[in-house]
Amino acid sequence: MNLSYRIYYVFLRNLISYKRFIIPTFVVSLGQPLFYLVTFGLGMGAYMGHFGGKPYLHFLVPGVLISSVMMAATFECLYGTFVKIVHEHLYDSLVATPVSAEDAVAGDIAWASFRGLISGTLMLIIAMALGVLPASWTALPALVLLMIFTGLLFASLAMIVTSVAPNFDFFSYYTELIITPMFFFSGVFFPLDRFPAWMQTFAQFLPLTHAVALSRALFAGEISSALLIHIAALCALGTVAFVVGIKRMKKRLIT
Amino acid sequence: MIGLCHIIHFKNAMDSVISADRLTKKYGELTAVDAISFSINEGECFGFLGPNGAGKTTTVRMIHCVSPISEGSVSVFGQAAGINNRAIKKITGVIPQEITLDNDLTVYENLMVFARFFDIPRSEAKERVAGLLAFVELEHKRNSRIGQLSTGMKRRILIARALLNNPRLIIADEPTTGLDPQARHLIWQRLRSLKKQGVTLILTTQYMEEAEQLCDRIVVMYQGRILKEGVPQRLVQDEIGREVVEIRASEEGDAGLLATLSPLYTGHERAGDTLYLYCTDSHALMERMLSLNLPNVLHRPATLEDVFLKLTGRSLIE
Repeated sequence: MNLSYRIYYVFLRNLISYKRFIIPTFVVSLGQPLFYLVTFGLGMGAYMGHFGGKPYLHFLVPGVLISSVMMAATFECLYGTFVKIVHEHLYDSLVATPVSAEDAVAGDIAWASFRGLISGTLMLIIAMALGVLPASWTALPALVLLMIFTGLLFASLAMIVTSVAPNFDFFSYYTELIITPMFFFSGVFFPLDRFPAWMQTFAQFLPLTHAVALSRALFAGEISSALLIHIAALCALGTVAFVVGIKRMKKRLIT
Repeated sequence: MIGLCHIIHFKNAMDSVISADRLTKKYGELTAVDAISFSINEGECFGFLGPNGAGKTTTVRMIHCVSPISEGSVSVFGQAAGINNRAIKKITGVIPQEITLDNDLTVYENLMVFARFFDIPRSEAKERVAGLLAFVELEHKRNSRIGQLSTGMKRRILIARALLNNPRLIIADEPTTGLDPQARHLIWQRLRSLKKQGVTLILTTQYMEEAEQLCDRIVVMYQGRILKEGVPQRLVQDEIGREVVEIRASEEGDAGLLATLSPLYTGHERAGDTLYLYCTDSHALMERMLSLNLPNVLHRPATLEDVFLKLTGRSLIE
């Protein structure tokens, strides 16, 4: 792995180009999660009574928030990166400079994670306006860290998909068959313990499950050593995805 | 003293800064570059000529460390080229074949961002960008988006971008493909002025005129191999002669015609509807032809294009 501080330069390039897309991306990254909050949280929540002594919205927010991080990071490394490689040949000129292919890919992963952080933060602001707050002010930096890490993980996973994608249509397989189901099986909308046992086991293999569990603990203030398993799972998955994503992508870029 | 200066100058000029030893590139079964060896001297313009798919671009991509070498080696300024060699990339400027400018950024942002990739501090980058925009005569497009530029302008920005790091080596991969004559000549002038500043230049092209305009030495590549190497004018002399006479006539008459005109030509070739006669002095040949009263005869100086077509075949390559 030929990584260097030049990751930052690639991140910076994305930041400079982002200022022209900032408003449309705000709308896009807020649209879907807001839709879930309103329909499920406020609409359906009215019929659902209380979850652990609090309105349903309090159950829903931590999951939807971390899912919006997942979505933003995923889409950035699918469509964003694909356009840069295939349509704009941006990586071709990058790798001809002292920026290595690994730097370039890691820079895009870091950028996607940042996009996830922005989405998550916007959601957090809305949630706070609706009266759903993290357990304490000290939980806030932990939540930011969780969002960054969740972004890195899903950006890296998306990078693996992009590394083998022949065209845009290919991404639908990943988003429709993996990302969307994950959204429903990771305990975002209802507690996992209501699933049959085999489904609970299955859910443990979904990275989003662990991110949601940690997010919910930070909102509820239920910090315990039981969370270590989720942290370990995220770290292991994240590291593997990051390394594989960069290696696969390098293979595509350097021929 | 003058003599000594000459010798020193001559010696410097002959220092080889890039040398390839049986450089090879394989893509699976396909051998794109087949064990070629060459050396390029400091300050010269070295051209790779060849039809599409000859291996020119693959060769230069291995030189500037963006394509892994399958076998053999190439050293650039004393260092072995390889995919992880950032030091070579740092002193090389690349003018790519495809327009790889950043469409999301303005002209100015494109150059500033690129300068960052080379660790150039911001204040210095600003100065260089201003100077380079003047060099390619595009100061007035500073704040334009890339999509608003013509192809010629985009190519000039690519040149400016390739110069940001004050490169010792510039690689221009078909830098004038698809340009109108004005834009092409402007780019040639800029490349020549860079050469005057002592930069070593590698050019790939399929335009013979471009090679004649710019290159001190060329190699003709075909199917991954080097067919010929030399100084453009000398190559024309040695391979073709000074002049070419083209006769458009059907092939049946060739044997009789060639016998009649012998030994006034030094070589001949038939391609499609045309018989090519090569010669060093066409005076006598033309006189004889006039007496034959042949229609459709064209008499012209020999060019690199004749060498190229003779070496790689006059029929369409596919």
